[in-house]
Amino acid sequence: MVIIMKKLNLISLAVVVALAGCSDNDKNTPDPVTPIIDPVPVPIESLTVENTIAVGSEQCINGGIETLTGDDANQNGELDADEITTTSLVCNDSATSLNAQQLASLTTNTWYKEAHAKLASSQDNIANIVKESGKAKNVILFVGDGMGISTVTAARILAGQLQGKMGEEHQLSFETLPFSGFAKTYNVDAQTPDSAGTMTAMASGVKTDVGVIGIDEAVIKGKCLSGKGHELVTSLELAEIAGKSTGLISTARITHATPAATYAKAANRNWEDVSDMPKSEAANCEDIASQLVNFEKNLEARFAGIDVDGLEVVMGGGRRHFLPKDARYNSADAVSLVEGDRTDGRDLTAEWQAQYPNGQYVMDQAGFDAIDVTNSKHIFGLFNESHMQYEADRGNDIAGEPSLSEMTAKALDVLDNNEKGFFLTVEAGRIDHAHHAGNAYNALNDTIELSKAVQVALDKTSIEDTLIIVTADHSHVFTIAGYPKRGNPILGKVVAVGETEPTLAADNMPYTTVGYTNGGGFRDLGEETDADAGYKFAPVTGRVDLTDVDTQSPGFHQEALVPLSSETHAGEDVGVYAIGPGAHLVTGTNEQSFIFHVMNYAADLAKKADAKVTN
Amino acid sequence: MKTIILSLALISPLASAAQCALDSQYVQASYQVSKQVAGKAVAESQQFTLWRTPHQVAEQGIELVEVWQQLSNQQIRPIRYFQTQQRGIEYQPSEVQGQQNWSTKYQLVSDDFIAKMTLTDEQGDGCEKIQHYQLVQGDTTIELAWLVNQKLVSAMSIGKAQLTQTLTLGTVDFKKDPIQQQFALWDAYQTTDYADIGDNEGDPFLAKMINLGFIEHGASGFYDTNGKALGGGHSH
Repeated sequence: MVIIMKKLNLISLAVVVALAGCSDNDKNTPDPVTPIIDPVPVPIESLTVENTIAVGSEQCINGGIETLTGDDANQNGELDADEITTTSLVCNDSATSLNAQQLASLTTNTWYKEAHAKLASSQDNIANIVKESGKAKNVILFVGDGMGISTVTAARILAGQLQGKMGEEHQLSFETLPFSGFAKTYNVDAQTPDSAGTMTAMASGVKTDVGVIGIDEAVIKGKCLSGKGHELVTSLELAEIAGKSTGLISTARITHATPAATYAKAANRNWEDVSDMPKSEAANCEDIASQLVNFEKNLEARFAGIDVDGLEVVMGGGRRHFLPKDARYNSADAVSLVEGDRTDGRDLTAEWQAQYPNGQYVMDQAGFDAIDVTNSKHIFGLFNESHMQYEADRGNDIAGEPSLSEMTAKALDVLDNNEKGFFLTVEAGRIDHAHHAGNAYNALNDTIELSKAVQVALDKTSIEDTLIIVTADHSHVFTIAGYPKRGNPILGKVVAVGETEPTLAADNMPYTTVGYTNGGGFRDLGEETDADAGYKFAPVTGRVDLTDVDTQSPGFHQEALVPLSSETHAGEDVGVYAIGPGAHLVTGTNEQSFIFHVMNYAADLAKKADAKVTN
Repeated sequence: MKTIILSLALISPLASAAQCALDSQYVQASYQVSKQVAGKAVAESQQFTLWRTPHQVAEQGIELVEVWQQLSNQQIRPIRYFQTQQRGIEYQPSEVQGQQNWSTKYQLVSDDFIAKMTLTDEQGDGCEKIQHYQLVQGDTTIELAWLVNQKLVSAMSIGKAQLTQTLTLGTVDFKKDPIQQQFALWDAYQTTDYADIGDNEGDPFLAKMINLGFIEHGASGFYDTNGKALGGGHSH
């Protein structure tokens, strides 16, 4: 604040009265007496200006007052720099407390205010969380296959930009969950893991070897008999024994590693049907698809005295593993001339229908839409011969298939009919595949679809009785690089702060913000929405001039440093997000197997299951 | 023009065009691909076999077999078989409209391309009816001998000043059963979606695939539908 103080000067208004002489024109007429005002010297004001010194300034760290004085020589009413004759500085004493004025630069700042409000809600979350064991009637585990931290960040930005925002400030649904931590993803024998080992850890609480499903590390991969006696019990199985409704959803084949780890035991993740197994192994162990259909029977055989009712909801892809290798069994949207792979002649869809005569087997969008969620107790949906379509590519499916969020909604409508609660696992399985294909567009759009599915679950359940955990099984070598300006399209080329044209690298060519450390590298497939189309081309080595390439198009595959035909997983930690009873345990950095224990604690799965077995 | 040896046990040379097309749905045809560089005395050559059923085409080389399946929605699905390992890699059907042309796979040269060529001669009747076409594009002269009712290339050449490539039909068989059995044999191989390769580096065969690419146009891609030469020679 500047204060101008005018001192009262002594004004010498000398008024001189003089007797005037005769005018030249009329010398005879005496002049009246005329007062004459002399040209009076202009009064000079002395000005004083006081400036408030801000807290944190170089002159006074705690603020103060700077006083400037001088004469207003040019009479402009202001104390100009060249008029200052004295300067004095009075600094405030060191602060003994913070007052509103001192904090004003913080408290009026939007970032500060929003974070401050979040602090309050975080405190409320901690205060209100149900910490007691066994209070979660329902548990939902969402797994984004291959959804590493960089994928979450990039998907968040893309989701925001698709809504017209700059993007960075956006939050995916699961990023709003009150508790989060990290999971270490390595397998017992692998620094960088695969889905079989990681999902086994999450589902059973036991880390195991890469490529192994539902069996501990004692197993020799591919040797069926070596796993006998080392089979693990999963959270899904415990929930089933405890009397809860159980469900399983994946956009991958339902026999693929991640979903399979919830219900199957296999010394090799690829034993999805009998034709995938060496005869020596098939003679002693059951293939994964068969284990899914025989889930109820196998569980009852394993644990004495239980009477379970089987998986209420199973939806995903992988029809080929359930049908005989016979064209007569082809579905309407088969993508092979002979859809089924089974060489034992079994039609597992028919076997499932025989077990659950009132259940509904569906294979397309129309069948899905017709499901009676009120009266249906068992749903079996196999919507694709192999993996279901990428979310952006669903329109190209021959018979039509539901989205992940639609399947989640339908599953919850069926599962919540049980007063004992439910246990549901939902996998966004194709994030992983898009990354393997080096196509960020599909990886991010499938992550956004997972976010929608989580929102569906949040909307359809209560924080009071439902534990929801969202995580990934592993990461990918997917990076967000360069120095793009705020709001720069996440799938675009790097445009630096203050610039409008792409930044050029040392090779004088533009580069994208997102990219891969290895993989097939550059492909420009335009509007192609199937990431796997990129596999029809050899890996591209070296840099490509992207000047005239639309890197935001669905068919653009990012450049890669190390040329491989398929991009690989990465070994860093993944995020774990949670809400509901027991969610407070999701904090810090933990082994991936810890996730099982959180679910088990929250829902008392083992304890309730044990009561059924012993009774 | 080289001699064409046809096994005509099942097909009468006097058959109508429609009957001939019907009878030649199942084909096993051997081809020789030769590349003659000016100044070199010996031409490079290799062979492959074209197999086809109404909705499948296979090009069989020494080690690799590339199969294309035509789906009910007209998409084309590629599969690549490795004969020594008895394994296969399945690719996703192509969905981009116009990117692939079934006739390119089925008869090695697309109907669109033949339509661009000039008919210079026509001989024979029924299944032996053969048409000769020519197309000159810049310094390249393309000649085609076309068994029009069997939808088979009898011979084709792409001639430039320094390089001449030829595709020549050898033996042909139209016996349905052995052809179906051959496709069934490949179909029995253990197959993997390419999308799953990245998750299977522990499998030695699939780990090797990590470092292999896929060349969509094999020997049949002698040139594409735009007449653009693809370098000639069989990729196998």
